[in-house]
Amino acid sequence: MSNGQNGAELRLVTPGMAIGPIAGKRVGSGAIAQNDTIIATRLGWAKEFNNTVSVDPINSAYMPRSGDLIVAVVAEVRNNLWFMNINGPFQGLLPMSLAPWKVEFGAARQHMGIGDVVLARVQEVDECHNVVLTMKGVGLRRLNQGTVVSVPINHIDRLRGEGNATVQRLRDAADSRIIIGENGRVWIDGDAKGTAWAREAIALTQASGHKTTFEAELSALEQNAPKKGDA
Amino acid sequence: MGGYGDVQLLRDDGLRLDGRKIDEMRPVTVEAGVLPAADGSAMVTHGLNVAVAAVYGPMEAHPRKIQRQDRAVIDVRYNMAPFSTSDRIRPGYNRRSREISKVTAEALESVVLVERYPRSKIRVEIEILAAEAGTRCVGITAAAVALADAGIPMRDLIVGVASGKVEDTVVLDLDKAEDNYGQADLPVGILPNTGEIAFLQMDGDLSPEEFNLAMEYNFKAAGEIHEIMVDALKRRYEGGEN
Amino acid sequence: MVELVPTLLRQELARLAEDDLRLDGRGRWEGREVSLETDCLYNAEGSAKVVMGDTIVYAGIKFELRTPWPDRPTQGSLMCGAELRPVAHRKYEPGPPSPQSIELGRVVDRGIRESGCIDMESLCIVPGEKVWGVMIDIHVLSDGGNIFDACGLAAIAALRTAVVPAERFDVGEDYTLKVNGTPIMASFTRVGGRYIYDPSEEEELGGDERIHITLGDEGHLHSLQKGLRGVFTPAEFAEIFEVAHQRCTELRELVANQEGN
Repeated sequence: MSNGQNGAELRLVTPGMAIGPIAGKRVGSGAIAQNDTIIATRLGWAKEFNNTVSVDPINSAYMPRSGDLIVAVVAEVRNNLWFMNINGPFQGLLPMSLAPWKVEFGAARQHMGIGDVVLARVQEVDECHNVVLTMKGVGLRRLNQGTVVSVPINHIDRLRGEGNATVQRLRDAADSRIIIGENGRVWIDGDAKGTAWAREAIALTQASGHKTTFEAELSALEQNAPKKGDA
Repeated sequence: MGGYGDVQLLRDDGLRLDGRKIDEMRPVTVEAGVLPAADGSAMVTHGLNVAVAAVYGPMEAHPRKIQRQDRAVIDVRYNMAPFSTSDRIRPGYNRRSREISKVTAEALESVVLVERYPRSKIRVEIEILAAEAGTRCVGITAAAVALADAGIPMRDLIVGVASGKVEDTVVLDLDKAEDNYGQADLPVGILPNTGEIAFLQMDGDLSPEEFNLAMEYNFKAAGEIHEIMVDALKRRYEGGEN
Repeated sequence: MVELVPTLLRQELARLAEDDLRLDGRGRWEGREVSLETDCLYNAEGSAKVVMGDTIVYAGIKFELRTPWPDRPTQGSLMCGAELRPVAHRKYEPGPPSPQSIELGRVVDRGIRESGCIDMESLCIVPGEKVWGVMIDIHVLSDGGNIFDACGLAAIAALRTAVVPAERFDVGEDYTLKVNGTPIMASFTRVGGRYIYDPSEEEELGGDERIHITLGDEGHLHSLQKGLRGVFTPAEFAEIFEVAHQRCTELRELVANQEGN
């Protein structure tokens, strides 16, 4: 059994499973109303908050939303735009006009090629799932060093921790920059030891982040961390 | 359906060749999350049948011609491994597999909330590793668990099950001999929550009364299999696994 | 499907290689844990399942009665094929057999055939009329890197536990197929500039060319294959050949232990 944030027990539900009567409740994500009952549509943890019944999915594809900070990889280059793999069902498009450099028509390749990894933001998503990206913004840039690790979408919150507490601990202990992309890609920039430690710590949050043993396990791992200031 | 020949399918004590009662199902096991490379996966054994299903997606629908502007397309490949049957199956294009893939996809499209993902496709790869009658049903069951494991939204978990007729008696869940020498086969895909049917095929000879009885058996078994599917998904994710 | 290789991945692999490290913390010549199961497919006359990290493959042996080739009237036949179906990975798109899957089947085939572990004459039932055809079908269910070694291992393990179904074909009593020897494959990929043993999925994605070496019980070479784009030196080959010898011996023991059970 998993415990919710306020200690309420969450129940694992499967698609089609009845969660409860609809009487007076609102139907949130991961659930639909069927006659007088609210049924789950996703495999996940059923919860109720503010009279809204919803399901926290176990597994999710990345569905981009405007404003998301993401780690993207250039998949294709045209004369005036780049197609990016954003780890979602659809590719994202970065037009020349939203690149961080002044790009002449036909010169896109000179700035970024296939395989380049970047920090970008989702500019907009339309109903047809066309995704436009932008690299105009603070901190948005091509990433020339570091490592990218993938984490499941539904693990991002636990990696971040409340008020970014967990990821900050990881940054301090690994003495590395760590940026979590909303698309399930985490960028780590540190030396070899720091990066290796961060990878291990991220794996730990995936395996145990929701368990009561997590705090103890993370502290133990921090004991072996290449901390700031260590020789 | 084959001829009757000299094969006696119902014993003198009223039980079937393998000792089952006429309304008894073969044993079923389900395990979720068995393939690390897939977005969702499952392995189902039903009698001696073994089916594995992998789900990839949602992803952009390619080639363009299969894309639908208003919803996702479910792209199913049902395939029997060469070593899955007594006589080896040559790998390659197989008309039976092609047909099963189509109707399975249509069944899944009836239960997956495909409107959530326009212009996308969801790949469902069903591989039969061992066959002993009823493979298309095991495939459907495996696909349903794999889709749930992948986080694909659905209004129910579709369950595949079949009944038939041997020696003028309606029986639940045909095994190989019964399928070969029996008189009718009625595989279905049932949505246990609403009692709706999303997959239906039949061949042989059934009176309307026999058909109703076979459907009754199918519904009963679907309920049992559904519990096993839910249990498999719970085992994978409860107990602090995720 | 051509996979997208992030530049950072290749950079990281190169940096790790300089420090003699690998992504998953393994040693340069260290393989992943291997699990082997035999007799696991009901309708196959021989079968094996191999799990190496995230890679899962099955091999099934089927026997057929056939007429022998006219120029070899007393010999049976051996065929080996592999299927890389879309089930195994997002990158495997539906369609006709890819060059990758054909190569995979043929490389495994050569290793087994050229080792002579199957005596073709022993497959003869009636000279000039009836012989056994042995079919090895390899089915990759999950590609987590180094499917070659997993397939090679599954194929030989399945073969060594195969039972000839003479009764079903009415040509005598069932008997265990006689297999002399255990050819084993060892694969190496150039990652971050140097060869490593048993590449993981990420190492293959960010790596370069690969070399497959199949060795017999006496340490003889029975098949070699270099795949993908890249070049290597005789010195590099000598180095990995040494390692292949050790790794193949270990896996051969694994097969023997499994049979003992």
